Amino acid sequence: MFITALPTIAQMIGANRVLRGHAITSPTGDPSLAAGDEADLRRRIVERALEMLSTDVGPSTAWEVSR
Amino acid sequence: MIVVHYLNQFFAGLGGEEAAGQAPARISGAVGPGRGLEAAGLPIDVTLTCGDDFFGEHEPEALARLLSWLGEIEPDVLVCGPSFGSGRYGYACGSFAREAGRRGIPVVGAMTPDNPGVLAAEGAAYIVPTGPSVASMKTALPAIARLAHRLGSGEPVGSPAEDGYLPRGLRKNVRLSEVGADRAIAALLAKLSGNVRTEVESAFDRVTAPPAIGDLGSCTLALVTEAGCVPQGNPDHLPTRHSNIWLRYPLSGVGSLSPARYESVHAGFDTRTANLDPNRLVPLDAVRTLEREGRIGRLHAFFYTTAGVDTPMAVAAKFGQEIASELIPAGVQAVILTGT
Amino acid sequence: MRRASGDEPLELARFDVAEVVEGSAASWSDASLTLCLRDLAEAAKEGLPALADLDVRVVRPGDSVRIAHVLDAIIPDVKASAPEVTFPGVLGRLALAGRGRTNRLAGIGVLSVCDWAAAGLASPQTFPDAFVDMAGPGRPMTAWGDRPELVVTCTPKPGVPVADVDRSIRVAALRVARDAAQATIDRPPSAIDALDLAERVDADLPSVAVILQVASEGPLLDTFLYGGPVGGIVPTVLDHREVLDGALTSGAYDWAAVRNVTAYYQESALIRSLVAEHGETLRFAGMILALGYLDTPFDKQRSALLSARLARKLGADGVICTTFSSGNSHTDTMLTVQACEALGIGTVAILAETNGGLTDHVPEADSIVSTGNHDELVDPWTPGQVIGTSDNAMAGEPVPLWTYLGACAQTGDMALTAVPA
Repeated sequence: MFITALPTIAQMIGANRVLRGHAITSPTGDPSLAAGDEADLRRRIVERALEMLSTDVGPSTAWEVSR
Repeated sequence: MIVVHYLNQFFAGLGGEEAAGQAPARISGAVGPGRGLEAAGLPIDVTLTCGDDFFGEHEPEALARLLSWLGEIEPDVLVCGPSFGSGRYGYACGSFAREAGRRGIPVVGAMTPDNPGVLAAEGAAYIVPTGPSVASMKTALPAIARLAHRLGSGEPVGSPAEDGYLPRGLRKNVRLSEVGADRAIAALLAKLSGNVRTEVESAFDRVTAPPAIGDLGSCTLALVTEAGCVPQGNPDHLPTRHSNIWLRYPLSGVGSLSPARYESVHAGFDTRTANLDPNRLVPLDAVRTLEREGRIGRLHAFFYTTAGVDTPMAVAAKFGQEIASELIPAGVQAVILTGT
Repeated sequence: MRRASGDEPLELARFDVAEVVEGSAASWSDASLTLCLRDLAEAAKEGLPALADLDVRVVRPGDSVRIAHVLDAIIPDVKASAPEVTFPGVLGRLALAGRGRTNRLAGIGVLSVCDWAAAGLASPQTFPDAFVDMAGPGRPMTAWGDRPELVVTCTPKPGVPVADVDRSIRVAALRVARDAAQATIDRPPSAIDALDLAERVDADLPSVAVILQVASEGPLLDTFLYGGPVGGIVPTVLDHREVLDGALTSGAYDWAAVRNVTAYYQESALIRSLVAEHGETLRFAGMILALGYLDTPFDKQRSALLSARLARKLGADGVICTTFSSGNSHTDTMLTVQACEALGIGTVAILAETNGGLTDHVPEADSIVSTGNHDELVDPWTPGQVIGTSDNAMAGEPVPLWTYLGACAQTGDMALTAVPA
């Protein structure tokens, strides 16, 4: 599945499992957070990605990290 | 004629990638390429600008601001770009064009034919096709000025082929010399001899979503990225743009992508944040933690990388097929692909 | 041992009409047709109590006339040696169509007209209007603005069930068509078209069949095969000569631009061209009649499979799939394309577009003939006269193309298409 800060484009060109990343310059991180908090965020992003991989989806489906 | 010109932060002279987070701004007169448009006969009354990252991450707010300025100015035509091969800039141009079009303002854009901005415009803009880089500026500007002048003065525009713009996905009825039945017979005979043609293009390049992974705990996951993540020093010379290659690097014994050992050479975004911690592009440390906890079976021994800058869709599709044809025999069942 | 007798060939004798003159008796000579309109109207109406009134008038190309509420367009035909079997089952006695000599008036049409809503038989929303313009920007949109037309305007008797009224209108209009053509009997034709297929042709030529989609959803939305509605049929092989010779007639009155009028069966451009190309660039394998608008996914898929199966039985290498009207019939077309392609039979589909593009589209439908976007607007026109309605028939307003009879026919009889803009 695809982690990107621009899920609309990804959906438009046909990516099926898309997860909104944090930012263009750091899709799987957030430099404004303290190290421990950033690690937690990255873990949550990857867990959500794994959740998406183990879920059946229709075409061009985009999720957010927080429900 | 009142003309508004939209530019991103770079072409508006506000800075490079580090200024990509700039909020929308309004500048009187022509700026940067706008002066080239003026030299080509299209005077610019107002320039609007927005940072590409700001647009991508705060689209509703950016559009609201830009559209409210359009509402005040009431231009006869809006020119967006040229955005060439830049995906984020093109997307901003296309989205702005679409919304301006909904408010009855004719729009001219300029970008590569497979720029996501073309789809984002949803047919609202007359888009001059360009090459991927600024090298196309000299030929693009007169073409843009010409089209914009026609549209702004309410003159009719001819077909895409006649007037040099990309098909807008709109259709127009014409009467041919051959009836449909004869065209159908000719098309069928052509198809049966291997030459398929159609009067309605297919919209398809769609792949069905693979079914869900049943048991993550026994699955093999691979990491792939288009963020241009490579070992420090880019030893294998991954091109920073127009890449025609992808590369594979070993992850055995690597628990995290340290900034001492890895960097990004992607020319399409500001890499400073990522270079302080490359896990912000390829989340290796988090994947390793989850692997230790048994949440996945194992991480594949290699990660795959390219820099997705001005990469034609056909080339990107080829990269995907090539990488997949390595992953599948290696028993990989799932991929986390990261992009910027 | 008795063997079946050979088929009598179909000879379509063409009698050109360049002008129509009103007179006291019917005659045809040298491209000039004289008709007694009063006689035509009386004969048409006879024995049809469901019709309170019927009138026949002539309109000519260039007349400032908009004909509204047009139901059908019919080409005047008569079976020369047995006029009583003309349009068998619906008008004539039941007999096999597609053999023997048929006399056809070429260059003139019969248009049936009835304002259902004004007669209280259908709400104005049920059927969008249907126009033929004899002048103005709408004239080139139909096939009938460039030739004289016999307009048969029918007024239903109040209180009669709509199915009876419809049957009466169809009978009356077909009578006018047949009776007009009767003027040609024993006269020398302008030309004779042979429509039988040579039996021995190059086996290396690709074999092509047509899957002709029709629909039967009840009165006013129906198609008739030898006079009976086709509802419930499984895909069926027809001889192309039957289709040309009045075996199929229309009783469907929804979206005019994509309506399969009777004339499009009688003068099917597809059949004409496939017959002409038989033995030259292809072998014409035959025609399959199949329903569109089937109700359930199962019925749709089953019909598609049965059509494909027949195409294979006919030995087709490729098929041309036509479409009937708009909406979910396009799904029937797409399923038929898929079913044929799955059997290795190449397909081309003929479809009209809307402002939203194609109604349905599957990846296997990679070769489509577009008959135009029927949502496009035609420029406003104010005719000097409107026939068929007492309302102003959109005079002075832009008219959606869907209103013009047969303009985007998905049988391929018109030359309109849509291109990128």
